[in-house]
Amino acid sequence: MTTGIIAIAAAIAIAISTLGPAIAQGITAKTAMESIARQPDAAKDIRSTLIISLALMEALTIYGLLIAFMLISKI
Amino acid sequence: MGKESKVLIKLFGFLDVTGEVVTMWIILGLIAVISLIVKCSLKERPGRFQNMIETAVESLDNFFTGNLGKPKGRKYFPFLATLFVFIVLSNYSGLVPGVGLTDYVKAPTACLSVTAALGIITFIFLQTSGIRHNVRHYFKHFISPIAVMLPLLLLDEFIKPASLALRLYGNVFGEETVTEELYHIMPIGAPVIMMVLSLLFCALQAIVFTMLVSIYLDEVTETE
Repeated sequence: MTTGIIAIAAAIAIAISTLGPAIAQGITAKTAMESIARQPDAAKDIRSTLIISLALMEALTIYGLLIAFMLISKI
Repeated sequence: MGKESKVLIKLFGFLDVTGEVVTMWIILGLIAVISLIVKCSLKERPGRFQNMIETAVESLDNFFTGNLGKPKGRKYFPFLATLFVFIVLSNYSGLVPGVGLTDYVKAPTACLSVTAALGIITFIFLQTSGIRHNVRHYFKHFISPIAVMLPLLLLDEFIKPASLALRLYGNVFGEETVTEELYHIMPIGAPVIMMVLSLLFCALQAIVFTMLVSIYLDEVTETE
C-alpha cells in the first residue's frame, strides 16, 4: 500500500515539475527565434542568453527529478 | 540521495576511494599526459595535433573573454578553463562502453559528492575573487540597493553553488538512469537513442556550468 503511494508520489512529482518549465522553455525559445529572425546580427548574444535562461528553467525540472529519485529509493 | 558508492580501497585508512575517484584519476592523468605531450613538442609551425589543441584553447578563450571582457577573461581563464575541461571529460566518460556497469569505473559527475565539491570550489573561488578584486564593493553589494535585502542576498550566495551542483548532478545522473532503463528494455539498439542525445547534453551542461560561473564572477568583480 505505502509502496504504491510512494510510486504515485514520485510520478506526480516529476510530472508536475515538468509542466511549468516546459511551457516556459517553449515561450523562451519562441521569443528567441523571433528575435533572431528579426535581427540576425544579434544572434550570438541572444543564443548565449537563451542557453542560460533555458538552463535556469531546467533546474526546476531537475529538482523535481531529484525528489522523484529520492522517493523511488525509499520503496 | 541515490545509491551509496562502493568503497574499493581505504587510502591511508580514512580516504575512501570509490569508482568515481578512480575515473577522476584516469581523467586527470589523461589531461596531464596530453598537456605534457603538447607542451614538450611545441613548434613554430604546428602539426595536426598541436593545431587541434590550439583551436580548442582559442575557442575557450573566445568564450570566456566574450562573457567577461578581455582583461578579466584572461585573468580568470586558468580556473574557468580547467573547470570546463574537467566537466566535459567527466561527462563524456559516462559514454565510454563499460563505464557505469561495474563498481570500478563510474562517471564522476553522476555522483552528488563530486558535483557538490565542484560547487564548493566555485563558492570559495567566487568569494575570494570578489574580496580580492574590491573589498568595499564586495561588502557593499550585500546591502545594495537597500539594507533589507541582506538576508536574501546572503542566502543567494549559498544557493548559487548548490543549484550549480544539483543541476549538473541531476542532468548527468538522469541521463545515465534513462540509458540504463533503455538497456533493460532492449539491450541492443535502444540505449543508442539516449546516448546520441547525451553527446549533445554533456557538452551543453559543461558550457552552462562554466557560463553561469563566469556570469556570477562578472557580477562579483564588477568595476564601478
